[in-house]
Amino acid sequence: MSWLSRITPRGTDGRTNRSAASASPCTADPETCLMVFENHWRQVSWVLEQRDSVAGGADDLTAVRNHTDQMLCLLAEEKPAGGDSDTPAMGPILELVVSENVLQRLVQWHVRRGLDPDSQTALLKLFEMLIGRSQQPLLQHSAVLQPLLGLLGACADPQLGCPPSLEASLVLLLNQVCVCMSRQPAVLELLFRCGAVQQGPTNLLIFSLLVPFIHRDGGLGQQARDALLLVMATSASNHAVARYITENSYFCPVLATGLSALYSSLPRKIEVHGDDWHALRREDWMGVSSLVVFMNSLEFCNAVVQVAHPLVRCQLLDYLHNGFLVPVVGPALHKSSVDEMIASTAYLDLFLRSVTEKSLVKTFLRFILLHRHDNDTILHTLLTRISSNSRLCMVSLSLFKTLLSFNCEDLMLQLVLRYLLPCTHVMLSQRRAVRETDLYGKSADKFLSLIPECCRTTTAATSDREEEPAFWGKVLGSPNSESPVHAKPSTPSRLALFIRQQSTGVTGPLSSAPGPESAPSSPRNSAPLPPSSPMHQPPDPSEVESGYLEYLRDARRGIELCSWACRDWSAPYDGDNPSPSSVPPPPPPPTSTPSLSMVPEHFSSQRSVLADPAQQRAAAVAAARAEWSSSDRNSGEWDITISKNCISLTPRSKKRSLLPSSVPLQPSSSSSSSSVTEVPLGTAEPTGPLHHAVPHQALYNGTGQANECVDTPDGGMEVKKVKRDADVSGEPGPNGGVGMMGSTESSLALEGGYGDFHVSSAKKPAPSQVKSNLLPQAQTCSPSLQPSSQTLNCRSLPAPKPSDASVAAGGSQALESVESLIEELLEQAPSEPDRSELGDSNGHGISIEAFHQELRELEERVRGRRAHSHSAEELGQDSVPTSPGPHRMDEECPPPESEQGAGEPKSDGSAGTFSPARPPAQPLTQPYIGPFMTVLFSKLESMLQNSLYVNILLTGIVFQLSCYPQPLLRSFLLNTNMVFQPSVKSLIQVLGSVKNRIEAFAAMHEDFPTMLRKARRFLVARGKLDWTDPPVGVPPLRRSDSLVKSRKPSLGDLILRHTSSPTRARHAAQAALAHVRDGGQSLHSALFRGAVAASGASSLEKQAEALRVKNTVYCAVIFSEFLKELAALAQEHAVAMPFPPSQGTEE
Amino acid sequence: CGLVWGLSSSNARSDSEEQGGAGEPRISPARHPFGKKQLPSIPKNALPITKPSSPASAAQAANGTHASYGPFYLEYSLLAEFTLVIKQKLPGIYVQPSYRSALMWFGVIFIRHGLYQDGVFKFTVYIPDNYPDGDCPRVVFDIPIFHPLVNPVSGELDVKRAFTKWRRNHNHIWQVLMYARTVFYKINTMEPLNPEAAVLYDKDIQLFKSKVVDGVKLCNSHLFDQPKMDDPYAISFSPWNPAVHEEAREKMFTHKRRPEDHPKGLQVSGLSWVKPGSTQPFSKDEYPLQT
Repeated sequence: MSWLSRITPRGTDGRTNRSAASASPCTADPETCLMVFENHWRQVSWVLEQRDSVAGGADDLTAVRNHTDQMLCLLAEEKPAGGDSDTPAMGPILELVVSENVLQRLVQWHVRRGLDPDSQTALLKLFEMLIGRSQQPLLQHSAVLQPLLGLLGACADPQLGCPPSLEASLVLLLNQVCVCMSRQPAVLELLFRCGAVQQGPTNLLIFSLLVPFIHRDGGLGQQARDALLLVMATSASNHAVARYITENSYFCPVLATGLSALYSSLPRKIEVHGDDWHALRREDWMGVSSLVVFMNSLEFCNAVVQVAHPLVRCQLLDYLHNGFLVPVVGPALHKSSVDEMIASTAYLDLFLRSVTEKSLVKTFLRFILLHRHDNDTILHTLLTRISSNSRLCMVSLSLFKTLLSFNCEDLMLQLVLRYLLPCTHVMLSQRRAVRETDLYGKSADKFLSLIPECCRTTTAATSDREEEPAFWGKVLGSPNSESPVHAKPSTPSRLALFIRQQSTGVTGPLSSAPGPESAPSSPRNSAPLPPSSPMHQPPDPSEVESGYLEYLRDARRGIELCSWACRDWSAPYDGDNPSPSSVPPPPPPPTSTPSLSMVPEHFSSQRSVLADPAQQRAAAVAAARAEWSSSDRNSGEWDITISKNCISLTPRSKKRSLLPSSVPLQPSSSSSSSSVTEVPLGTAEPTGPLHHAVPHQALYNGTGQANECVDTPDGGMEVKKVKRDADVSGEPGPNGGVGMMGSTESSLALEGGYGDFHVSSAKKPAPSQVKSNLLPQAQTCSPSLQPSSQTLNCRSLPAPKPSDASVAAGGSQALESVESLIEELLEQAPSEPDRSELGDSNGHGISIEAFHQELRELEERVRGRRAHSHSAEELGQDSVPTSPGPHRMDEECPPPESEQGAGEPKSDGSAGTFSPARPPAQPLTQPYIGPFMTVLFSKLESMLQNSLYVNILLTGIVFQLSCYPQPLLRSFLLNTNMVFQPSVKSLIQVLGSVKNRIEAFAAMHEDFPTMLRKARRFLVARGKLDWTDPPVGVPPLRRSDSLVKSRKPSLGDLILRHTSSPTRARHAAQAALAHVRDGGQSLHSALFRGAVAASGASSLEKQAEALRVKNTVYCAVIFSEFLKELAALAQEHAVAMPFPPSQGTEE
Repeated sequence: CGLVWGLSSSNARSDSEEQGGAGEPRISPARHPFGKKQLPSIPKNALPITKPSSPASAAQAANGTHASYGPFYLEYSLLAEFTLVIKQKLPGIYVQPSYRSALMWFGVIFIRHGLYQDGVFKFTVYIPDNYPDGDCPRVVFDIPIFHPLVNPVSGELDVKRAFTKWRRNHNHIWQVLMYARTVFYKINTMEPLNPEAAVLYDKDIQLFKSKVVDGVKLCNSHLFDQPKMDDPYAISFSPWNPAVHEEAREKMFTHKRRPEDHPKGLQVSGLSWVKPGSTQPFSKDEYPLQT
């Protein structure tokens, strides 16, 4: 019997012994084993037959347990007695077990005498061991299956679940059963059938028992999900089981609504401290347990959709749509607090990047494109967010980047193409040109010609050129995954041209095509060409150095990937197919919600005219304080476009409702210094998605605009502005400046009218109605509004050629009022020391910028001409800027095509050019390029005010869009020769206006070249850091990749404050980013020092000014690179070959 | 026909790949051993460049806003022209830009019926270096073909008569190639470059025919000659050699062009649920249960 003690040692720790036994498999022959087994069985059955001995059970129980342990071990160790591998013959023990129904009797005995938890656990473990380790298939024998199901039924109830103490054993056993089942699919059928006998409707017991564990975290949940997935996969072709799952189990509803529950436990607010943060990466969420749990469940959904029977899949998708997306995600996206908007948008983005199954993606996209929440599609809501403040804007841009990366026809149709399909945006005569490509590089040349002169100069750069990496050009793409950056410039293929030219010119043909290894590593080095070839003069290093070849390659790659992805689209979208005449008219420009959410942005970016130096100072101080003092507010909400180095971990303001800035709003508005227009906008509109954002906007308008008309809605304000305008410029004479200013101001008023109007009529559903009411209402708001409003209207009529007459009309109208306005403002001067508290730095950075810009332009024209020029200059120096352009991009009204000559700096026509307003009644009849393009163009137009990171994301998206090969889209963006309808602004026009502003800015700042160089260097340094990051784009969800990149501390778990204490997070983040700061901080301070040296204001003011300067300088860098990117795209489209459809064969 | 055209040996390494790279859809029925038209794409690592010493284009580039981008423009223009050629799928015509200059293209034309049936004529296209603002490209046959419009000495085809003024945006090189093919099917004897051929065609068609047959034979007998131009990308023919050509041909037929650096395990991309003919999203319904 020595062997017996060896295999089945007694003791309480049977499990460990068993595993020891399995490690050294029993060498005993089958007959001996059978004998031993029979021996045990005899003793057990003797106990079992003592039906009346229940009372004295303790001893019995111990005996039975011991014997059972050993019996089942023997059974598990037994090998099949032969037969083929498919239907192996039962070994003798198994045969005995089956014939005597051993297991059934055992279980029944236990059940009869009442199962205590201890016995339950023991039995579950025993069965788990048996099933997991058995050498021969067991579950197909009902003598095994029935007792198993009996045991399960006794231990757990599908409805009530099981006691927590049993959970682990239960799930492990179920998991084992499912593993077996997946190896022997026949078992599924058996389980199903014999369940039907035993359990009635809940006949797939193992399944029903697993469902409650779907969303469990930790190993238990994972085991349960794995088991369920096995059931799904096994039943993928079993219609009956699929029907059972869909009709009799709660699988799909539990899965979908469970997601809802998990979603609701996600952090409502994502505390972010890097101002470049815009999307949740894997490292970001790995440390957030609630998000990990959610993502596990989402991944599980994805897997189920992948493997399950179509019935199950469809039901699950249905539930996901109706039980998760619509009731939970939809409202979450429409939450009123900005934090929640940011969080929900980032979550949606993360989800979209994580799902891989087409039908699941489709469910998400359907939800986004078609579902209406409060009358607006989700898509529409998301679109309006792009125009919002930085962080929300960035997160939204990131989401759209993800959406675009699907290359989904349905999405592109809704987003862009349906607005272009009617071809009403092009002149009739130009429709043929839609399909043309940039054959001769004309468009490319046009794009390149927009690189501001000040960004071309390299002379200043020579001094420290050696410090600069050869290629900094690609930094543009650093945070963008779609244009991957090249840490080391690898040889672009086309570089070979130059090399070849060089060598053939000198030594004759190379014997073989030059390989990359023979190529210099950068165009700068490769430039040498035979002097005899004038055509191939070494390209000016300063230009080609910026990686144009790299851009060409990126463009080629982008276009290839995109057109490959789009090869199965239903139509070419080339202006003929779908036919422009047959398509339904696109939706008209929206009127209510978008304007509400967009107008504030316009206010923020262009409108807040700081008319009085004291106010400006106050605003600047406020801005700077908000930016620099780490305790003021956290930059996560209102990203102020600070350098990423100043990671201010400032978890102060918990809720947006506590807007520190909005507190002073009321007083200030009543103290006659805030603009009336915005206040109602911000406070009266109850339902707009940006409701919470609005007070902010109102705020800086409040601080910014010292128009005193408190009681009169917009009218007063407008008149006054116009007055001041005329005053500054003095005379109706050369009115370019006057006209521009005047129209800008009046447009402000007009937009104010819009806003006001919308507040009152926001609930009107019909856009046309809204439209038709608009003008009258704007005009009648206040009597004083009328004259100027009319002026405005007549001036801003989309006349192809703005006439001097109209300018003059506006100018003369405006004359007196400007003067008085300025006087008023000056009088108010010293009022606002307290204001410093309230500024939202972001807003100020932007508005100061814009105002400054505009004033500067104005100043140029009137300089030396007017008595008041003094004040103008003063304004010009420390104050800020309404950049008029973006006004026109207001989504609800297509811009008038006045900026035809955007490329040319301020011709007289620019008066009309900058006139943002247009008769509100007209838009419906005018072509409309859709909200997406409108908002993108609007953002582009305000590039100077955008933060670096917004610009990087923004240009990345335009790049992505420009990769699409569909002629309608391609020609719209890249064909600079196309003539659009006057009301349609083209990309080139937008870029032209940006160029002008950059050049104007550079002309103002002597040290611009130095700053530019430093900014470039910073970007290079930053780019290097980013290159070591895993791509931001698509954090894979596969488990194999789940190892967090441990190379560097994850910013992410620092970011989500909920996981750790703020203090710890702060320290950790500071540590993690120390290197970044080391790299960049000094640079930035240098940048600021230079910028601010001139002004003698307080340090905070300087910092605000520095911020503004910094944004512009970075913008100049990004802008130049962006133009090269666009030029490269135009060129590559001309040489791109289309891909044939895949003809249904999926690859 | 046991001929295979291919690239000269110096470039044989990338031969098959490049032919495959052109990746034309199989559209035309195979009526030829290599019935699937294949144009070699411009080799990846070697874009042709323009010849040195081209004052005109230099001037043009200098005129442009950004002289340093000049080379890109010219090369891309020619590359774009080449792309257009590929897209046109001209029957029986193959061209390949030379290694040394984007302004010189090697070509071969297969005449499949008519008077010049079975002719395989190699030619070179010379594109003026002030393209696209100069004259029309010139087409010169390697061996002067007996044809009214082909100069019997230089082998140059009279292209100018069809493109009296070269207009950018309207005229393209594929049209020149198309014209070069048409002249062998529709014979025009007006103002000939080869008066003898013109006269014979009009007066003694039989003699014309026999002279043409002789010319075709002559051309084909020189088919395996070394390319006239010493250029790695010159088109050269060699007798069918299974060891070399089988595999290349196989690749040509089976090749499926994909993006150059196509990400493996591409995530969901290129989705479309739009029913053809509709402009409504999700109009193509696949899943009955979707609500």
